Amino acid sequence: MRTSRPDQPFRAVRHQSTSALALDSALEATAADEPYDDGTDHVRFPPLERLPNATKLPSPLPERALTSAKLAALHARLSLPQKLPLQTLARALVDISADENPLFNNVNLAFVGQTITHYHVAEWLMCRYPRLPMTIMYAAMKAYAGDETLHSVARSWGVESAAEPGGEVDSGLLQFSMYKPVSHIGFGYGRKDNSRVEQGRWRRGIANRVLFDDDFGEQIGYDTRKKAQIPTSSQRTFSYGTEETRAAAERAHAAAVRAVVGSVYAHCGREAGKAFIRAHILSRTIDVSTLFEFKSPVVELARLCQREDFEPPVARLLSETGRLSRTPVFVVGIFSGKDKLGEAVAGNLDHARYKAAMNSLKSWYLYSPGENVRVPSEMLVEGSKAWEPTYIDIGEIIHG
Amino acid sequence: MGVKAVHRITTGRNGLGAFILQCKKMDFHYCDWAGSSKGMNGFIKSILPKFAAAHPQIEFTVSPRPSKHPVIIGHYINGRDKAICVRNLEPLQILKKVELLRDASGEKLKKVTKPVQSINESVRGIWSPYHGNGMRV
Repeated sequence: MRTSRPDQPFRAVRHQSTSALALDSALEATAADEPYDDGTDHVRFPPLERLPNATKLPSPLPERALTSAKLAALHARLSLPQKLPLQTLARALVDISADENPLFNNVNLAFVGQTITHYHVAEWLMCRYPRLPMTIMYAAMKAYAGDETLHSVARSWGVESAAEPGGEVDSGLLQFSMYKPVSHIGFGYGRKDNSRVEQGRWRRGIANRVLFDDDFGEQIGYDTRKKAQIPTSSQRTFSYGTEETRAAAERAHAAAVRAVVGSVYAHCGREAGKAFIRAHILSRTIDVSTLFEFKSPVVELARLCQREDFEPPVARLLSETGRLSRTPVFVVGIFSGKDKLGEAVAGNLDHARYKAAMNSLKSWYLYSPGENVRVPSEMLVEGSKAWEPTYIDIGEIIHG
Repeated sequence: MGVKAVHRITTGRNGLGAFILQCKKMDFHYCDWAGSSKGMNGFIKSILPKFAAAHPQIEFTVSPRPSKHPVIIGHYINGRDKAICVRNLEPLQILKKVELLRDASGEKLKKVTKPVQSINESVRGIWSPYHGNGMRV
């Protein structure tokens, strides 16, 4: 018995090897049968190596993340905690247009990231500027967390993109396809029929947008741009791309940033996620007063004074020079009783009055309790101070 | 009626919140044979491993370039790159050049005449001839 035991596995191995040989020879036979064989001596000139199996995959395997220098450098550049593994960071860089499988692309992470980002941006803006009208609030949200902004965040991180996605691509490159139409996730309450709004049959006012649309007050599943054709592979002769390809790149970069936020939240927790958003998104700056575009500032200011029981606003000329010259200058102030609400300088009287009304409205709308105002999410930390109610405004002056 | 909004995006302020080093990649090219690469070969053997370990946010590549002078190329986040030829330099002199590339922003060299540049508006405001008591001439 003892002598026969080692024979059995040995025989099995021989069986395997001979069968493998037979397979190889069969493969060679099929290769030789192919029609484009030009009679080259394959012993003397062996055929090129076959492409690795990875090329068949839509995105690189997770274990390849550990050997990517670019990915490790990106991880260190963002000062991500060690708890966040490289494999997750690699997954955050695979867009849905590269790999449709939700187990390998960043859609789920991006969804978490988007929710967390929008929550922190919204609470911070609302506590900091409690009187912003809803349209400006939406614009400010988009200025901080919109696709265009997050695209520039990704570029400032030094995220490079692959020319074309695939399993053989370095895991440290952002992978997306510009030529594949995909529906990116949007979070909100979609309408049943967007065409009714397009035709103007359904009114889409501000209250309606709060109820239905996404976090930027934009319709879900409706692209404001005209639907243009996505170029096929044979039409890819242009070097700078089209509007659609640039939009696809923008969406993919933004999704990657959201996915990185989502993965920080998933692996390191709520406070780390919040700190990451504060460091990379809320630390950016914008002058909120440049977001306003007034239609009829004088009427709006009069309505404001009426609502707040101020005396009706009166425009007074404070100072002027060169009324009859080529370049006159008028300084107009708007007063409510003895209080000056605002003033402006312009080249003619009407313009100065409009500008003064706009400045008065802006000084009302842009009231802020301070830069370092407390936000509700600070209460989630244990041992935080008791919450003092924040200032909440009663609402819009004129509803749009 | 009401207020309409203008579409704008925020501006990044690197270093406020998070700091991202602008140099993202460095290439080191050397020649095994030529004398001008002697210092570079010593640098790659003795100093580069420590430097690379101290800077995980930079991707390092080392590759031979036979029969050419040794060169270091820094790639930056803004898409530009900077190349420095380090022929006949000693390892410590090369380290200075590498630190220069690491600290560079990748922008073209500019003459800086003002000590402070800021995107914030002036705290004092802009002087106006129409306000205040003025001055009698």
